[in-house]
Amino acid sequence: MWTFIARRLLQSVVVILGVTLISFIALQIGGDPTYLFVSERATEEEIAMVRAALGFDNPLHIQYLTYLGNIAQGEFGNSLSYRQPAMEIVLGALPATIELTIFAMTFAITLAVPLGVFAALYRGTPVDGGIMTMAMFGQSVPGFWLGIMMILFFGLALRILPISGHVPFLLPLLQGEFSKAFQNLPNSLYYLIMPGIAAGFYSLSRNARLVRSSMLEVLSQDYVRTARSKGLTERAVVIHHALRNAWLPVITMIGLEFGFLLGGVVVIETVFSYPGIGRLVFNAINQRDIPVVQAAVVVLSVIFISLNLIVDLVYARIDPRVKL
Amino acid sequence: MTTLRHLTAAGALTLLMGSTALAAPPGDTLVVGLSADITTFEPANISSRDNANIARHIFGTLYSISGDGSVSPDMAENLEISEDGLKYVYTLRQGLTCHDGEALTAEDAAYTFNRAKDPANGFTGNTPGFVFSSVGFESAEALDDRRLQITIGRKNPIAFGLLAEVYVHCKDSYEKMSLDDAASNPIGSGPYKLASWTKGSEVVLEKVGEPARMNKIIWRIIPEASTRSAELIAGNVDIITNVAPDQINAVNASGNAKVQAVQGTRRMYVGFNLSDAFKAMPGGDAIQDPNVRRALQYAVDVPTICKQLLNFECVRATGIVNPPNANKSLEPYPYDPAMAEKLLDEAGWPRAADGTRFTIRFQAGRGRYLNDQNVVLAVAQYLEEVGLKVEVDIMEWASVYVPLIRKRDVGPLFFLGSGGALWSPLYDMTDLARVESGTNYTHWNDPRWFDRWADIANAKTPEEQRVIIDEMLKVFYDDGPWLHMYFQPDFYGVSERVDFVARPDEKVYLFATGLK
Repeated sequence: MWTFIARRLLQSVVVILGVTLISFIALQIGGDPTYLFVSERATEEEIAMVRAALGFDNPLHIQYLTYLGNIAQGEFGNSLSYRQPAMEIVLGALPATIELTIFAMTFAITLAVPLGVFAALYRGTPVDGGIMTMAMFGQSVPGFWLGIMMILFFGLALRILPISGHVPFLLPLLQGEFSKAFQNLPNSLYYLIMPGIAAGFYSLSRNARLVRSSMLEVLSQDYVRTARSKGLTERAVVIHHALRNAWLPVITMIGLEFGFLLGGVVVIETVFSYPGIGRLVFNAINQRDIPVVQAAVVVLSVIFISLNLIVDLVYARIDPRVKL
Repeated sequence: MTTLRHLTAAGALTLLMGSTALAAPPGDTLVVGLSADITTFEPANISSRDNANIARHIFGTLYSISGDGSVSPDMAENLEISEDGLKYVYTLRQGLTCHDGEALTAEDAAYTFNRAKDPANGFTGNTPGFVFSSVGFESAEALDDRRLQITIGRKNPIAFGLLAEVYVHCKDSYEKMSLDDAASNPIGSGPYKLASWTKGSEVVLEKVGEPARMNKIIWRIIPEASTRSAELIAGNVDIITNVAPDQINAVNASGNAKVQAVQGTRRMYVGFNLSDAFKAMPGGDAIQDPNVRRALQYAVDVPTICKQLLNFECVRATGIVNPPNANKSLEPYPYDPAMAEKLLDEAGWPRAADGTRFTIRFQAGRGRYLNDQNVVLAVAQYLEEVGLKVEVDIMEWASVYVPLIRKRDVGPLFFLGSGGALWSPLYDMTDLARVESGTNYTHWNDPRWFDRWADIANAKTPEEQRVIIDEMLKVFYDDGPWLHMYFQPDFYGVSERVDFVARPDEKVYLFATGLK
């Protein structure tokens, strides 16, 4: 296993290098970012001065190599917009997105598994039809539409949930402000309900369908028939024999979706004015704040790669057929 | 089962406790919903309008410009300008202080200007990037405790108004701070101080002086327009900026808030790029002829565009200058496609057998201005109706269109807006101060315009200057490089509980705003 981990870590370095290179090139395609940081009335001399101050006057390969050299020393440079260390800004926004992702995934998985199991157990019945219709709806509606509908219904019509905003829990917790963190917790959860559901609804739908199809496959296996013939209760058969094996593809999906949500909830964060990393990166791309984009890309890549590694390890742990 | 009950109870309690967060703002607090994020409180790095709106509450300025364009003293009580127009001597009011308690003197004000100019600091905000480059700022010095002298490199009739945009702060505090600290811990000189800043979420200001009616102002960042409107209707915010035109009726019908629509100062136009490079392109040769440009003015129904796409009844612009300062003898071009066709025929561009007169590319950015993409498509449609074949090219704003614009490499037709002001016609006209000005995106070079700047500088009286301005504006109206469109309307959603009055210059200053 340790050899596997070491090999994956080495591969990760290559992947991160590739990601930084691709994002660097993508940001340069739009042309000279200097123009976003000078007045319309700036003279050529002033533009040249700002270009030099921002480090855009060097050839691209020099800029990239300098950047790599800096990140090897843990230095990601200053944000061009905030004028503060880019990594500090990214890490400041990350806890909010982690809160949102954990909430969304918890919501999705805790509902997806029982719904998928019920749909499989009651295959072909109205229960199955209802659950699958909901799943189809969840996979079809765009997240921003669902978010806005929830705002209109729960925020405006019923006025039982906050329309937008965020109360931090994880950030004060990580900063050692425990009393503040736990004081914030109720409001933090309260503000997470709508964005969390909107972000997790797609995942809920997909996983419910996945669990259903996986359960249907497992329920027709010989060992399930054997379990039943031993006189086990249906509950024991489903939970201890069928579900354990039906979990395997879901676990893979959970790992991928967790990573995807961390970097991909920009629309939900925008709709709910949620100050997470997705919105930060989106704004940084628009403002060509290259250090922030690059720092975020590295952080998200590391998280994504780590999650995949964890999923592989968990997979090997719960499925004896898999050898690392 | 017991665990499940506990979890359910905890969840219910959480909701109950959380519901306190839905309370309306307290009576001494204003809550404003902004569309764009705030990036810095470094006074010399601030450039975006939303950022500047908040900063203006924290920092004082030498003079203030009101919503109607009138100018009044702020931190300065008097100004004397030397005869050659290069030295501005301000006398500061007595008793000024900074938020650190220190007395604010002319030395602090001079430090403010010189610090912003210092290349070692690498500032790129409005002060060094726009004000200083426009006036050719050279230096500032304290003549005594109260008198500040600013020296500029060239005589500039609008330097006074531009210098009024600089945020004044105290020397001692800023000398002690690193640039990183200064970006997030402003020590200001205005009536409010920064109480907290949660990046991407909100900025809280607390009252420390006058003029200020409310004890606290909370600026919330709510990028999505429909969410801003929902927060306003729900009573959670008092003022929102940039109400989307399609949400105006919903806000007005809510009973909790109304939309204030104002004709802004931002001049929206379709530019004709007249450079040699574009002359060789299809259509680029046609628009070189002022008669063709004039013909196209008649082809576009601007009031209908305003009404249908912007939800606003606008009066079409007659030129580059905002209405209060425009040439009063000029009437907006009417929508008269028959006249457009006649003039195009006369200019030597008749319809060919397929009905086309000439083909032309029309470039624009997406998402920067109110409903910009649809406005561009509508203009293109109007031009097609008089026989042009228009190839619309709409690009991503920040990363694609802006670099092209800055290189003056967009066209032959392009859609753009340019921020204007009410306090001086010359401010609006300086977009075209020189043929090679960075803001002369059209490469227009008519000497009847550009040669007159010397006459303006030498004018002996305001009346004499006004005559020259009107003559220049007439040239611009007849043969200029803009297809005149409109002044972009701004929509503010305002809660029924506050007495906010929107300004036309996109400035949200809340010193005098309070509860009704």
